[in-house]
Amino acid sequence: MASCTQLPESGVILNLRNLFDITTAADRFLFLILFMLSISGIFFVRELLPESRSVLIDVNGKTAYVFPLQENRTIAVEGPQGRTIVEIKGNRVRIIDSPCPHKLCVKQGWIQKGSLVCLPNSVVITIQGPESDDRGIDAVTR
Amino acid sequence: MQLRDRYRIALLSAFALGIHGIESLIPTPIPWLRPGFANIITLVTLILYGLYPAVMVTLIRVVLGSLLSGTFLGPAFLLSLGGGTTSILAMGIVFIAMPRLFSAVGLSIVGALTHNIAQLIIAYFFFVQRIEAILLITPLIMLLGTLTGTLNGFISEMLIKNLKNSGQTIQNVIQ
Repeated sequence: MASCTQLPESGVILNLRNLFDITTAADRFLFLILFMLSISGIFFVRELLPESRSVLIDVNGKTAYVFPLQENRTIAVEGPQGRTIVEIKGNRVRIIDSPCPHKLCVKQGWIQKGSLVCLPNSVVITIQGPESDDRGIDAVTR
Repeated sequence: MQLRDRYRIALLSAFALGIHGIESLIPTPIPWLRPGFANIITLVTLILYGLYPAVMVTLIRVVLGSLLSGTFLGPAFLLSLGGGTTSILAMGIVFIAMPRLFSAVGLSIVGALTHNIAQLIIAYFFFVQRIEAILLITPLIMLLGTLTGTLNGFISEMLIKNLKNSGQTIQNVIQ
């Protein structure tokens, strides 16, 4: 039965110089790379993420369809007066055709945020995004 | 396996288990965020005695640790097991392939990083399944892992130096 482990008389002294000396060049390189990668990652990962925005299509006040804004497609929405043709393409939305008399919704053209409304046919198209992007101010009165 | 190796593994596992237990009592802002001090024992085992005892120590620590804390076969156990085995295998491969390239500090960072990546992958496949959430938290976890890994590496390096300086390794204590 041997005695317990003795502490060395010239123990390892804890100081900064000592800490630096025991690392190899590869250690420092690895640490710096990871440190910088993660720090920059914290700031940039939000922007690298694809924005998950969706297109809500309401008919008569009820949500009839939800589509992702990223996927291109053309939809025929059945309203009280007929078919409203909606196109989603390149993160934008427009109404191609609608049975309404003045075609105001068609004249609005492409939108990237906000909403498109065709009142006569009771079709409302809204683009929903991450919460912070939704709260754009439309107008300010003084 | 020699009897001495078994004693050594048992003793080191007990050290690791003790540290693991004490560490789980330290409050942290995020439930799964822990400094991973038990990895110090794993790393010292790897460097002084080789990969096989280190893997054994890790497995014993994970299984017994989860039994003691009551999380055996639960989600925390799965994360702990996945992270622990991945990190010891990664540290072992790096240490055996390039023994002179990294000191304990570098090995510890490699271990911390692989531990975190394994846990994030397990969390994605079994629990969260939302890639945005995982990607958002990855850089923060990587940063914390790098810092705690560095700290653990320095402690391991000093422990190894002390054990070597004293001329007595753990085997002398238990003979």
